[in-house]
Amino acid sequence: MKSRFSRMVDAVLFSEILKGLVLTFRHIFVRSITDTYPHQKRTLPPGYRGVIVHLRYDDGTEKCVGCALCEAACPSHCITVVSAEDPVLPQRRIAAKYTLDVTKCVFCGFCVQACPVDALASSPEYEMATWNKRDLVMDKKAMLQLGDRYFPKRQKRPPYTEERFALFNKLKTSTFPAAHKIAV
Amino acid sequence: MDLMFYIVSAVITIAVVMGVVLLHVAYITYFERKILGDMQDRMGPMEVGYHGLLQPIADGLKLFFKEDIIPSGANKIIFTAAPILVLVPALIGFAVIPFGRDSLTIGPFTFNPIITDINIGILYILAFASLGAYGVLLGGWASNSKYALLGGLRSAAQVISYELPLGLALVGPILLSESLSMVKMTEAQSGGALKWFILVQPIPFFIYVISAIAETNRLPFDLPEAESELVAGFFTEYSGMRFAFFFLAEYANMILTSCIATVVFLGGWHAPHPALEFIPPILWFLAKVYCFLFFYIWIRATLPRLRFDQLMGFCWKILLPVGLANILITSIVVYWLRS
Repeated sequence: MKSRFSRMVDAVLFSEILKGLVLTFRHIFVRSITDTYPHQKRTLPPGYRGVIVHLRYDDGTEKCVGCALCEAACPSHCITVVSAEDPVLPQRRIAAKYTLDVTKCVFCGFCVQACPVDALASSPEYEMATWNKRDLVMDKKAMLQLGDRYFPKRQKRPPYTEERFALFNKLKTSTFPAAHKIAV
Repeated sequence: MDLMFYIVSAVITIAVVMGVVLLHVAYITYFERKILGDMQDRMGPMEVGYHGLLQPIADGLKLFFKEDIIPSGANKIIFTAAPILVLVPALIGFAVIPFGRDSLTIGPFTFNPIITDINIGILYILAFASLGAYGVLLGGWASNSKYALLGGLRSAAQVISYELPLGLALVGPILLSESLSMVKMTEAQSGGALKWFILVQPIPFFIYVISAIAETNRLPFDLPEAESELVAGFFTEYSGMRFAFFFLAEYANMILTSCIATVVFLGGWHAPHPALEFIPPILWFLAKVYCFLFFYIWIRATLPRLRFDQLMGFCWKILLPVGLANILITSIVVYWLRS
């Protein structure tokens, strides 16, 4: 506790205000912590969750199998999946329609965790400003494009798919000799 | 013929002074934003031009082209007149400020570094400074909005209160220089920094600084436009060019009070040492004014806003008695020295 006299001296000399002035003056020489955003972008942390994208295997086929588990996992109901059988490869299912409404998405990444074939990923894309908000309802094509841009390193397609097709072909030829065969 | 030359050179001087002052008013906003940014560890305007140097021009153009809205409930005549009533007193004070020493003669024209040297210069400035309060009060009232009215009332109360210590602080230097003319006051301080009135009259200088900040409604005394309580105070309802007029007036007032402080306390255009006289006097004047303006911004970056009763109490209970005591002591000392 300061004495009455020294408090009086402080009040007369505005010493508290002087202390404040010295502090603000010192901050002139502190480097500015701002990024000049459009010219200078921040480096994102490795686990950054931006827009959700679709991935491909190394041979260019889509990973997505249309199981709609992402749709079930989505807390904001922004994913819609219409599953269908692949017209070229029977027994293989794909998403005939896949829409991600980025305006609703909360970027939680639950869909990425729910995906059984790792077809989804969180991209570091965050600059989604657009003139038309309908552009933000992305279909599978747009998501694949984004995925190609941000994940150029692709996973090798596991061989079991081909094995399945080979088995299918074998069964078909033995049972229905005239049936259409799948090219593997 | 001589009269014509005189009038032409006077008109050119007025145009140049107004132009330069308005340019400084525009750039003081840039100066303020940059310094505030630096003090808060950010950058301030960076986009328009090199390090944002063209920002004031961009802002001016934006305000100029913005829609000018007059509220339907407003009193149209007073609402339109108020910004001009604020701006004119702020600009008219520059007529008696001596910016430098030497007159410039080109052919038959002579340009003085002062528009007119009237023998009651400082009284003239104070009189016009009080007129500015009318514009603020009328603008707040004519807007027909409770926030604007409250801002106007606060501003009127504050400006009228702080005018007293402001005037009292200036009486000391007036007694010392035995003149109300700004030129004579500058001359009385010639011969180095030791002759400046800030050394003989330090307390009035502090009273003047505090009252000047309050007079121009700047932080920490910006209660008339306290954002957190009154939206924007007396110019809540203003937009476009009229809003810009209030802004210009505020910054012009800042520069004017800085000029007065320079002339009255800091020796005007005199160099701090006779050996430094080779630097043009106008540069010394500018340097002093900018030091003062920097202090304005510095204090803005440092202090929070006062409460209204603190503001009034500080003025009436502290500044006014101290100012009066200073006049008494100064008069006695001056009388004793001169007799």
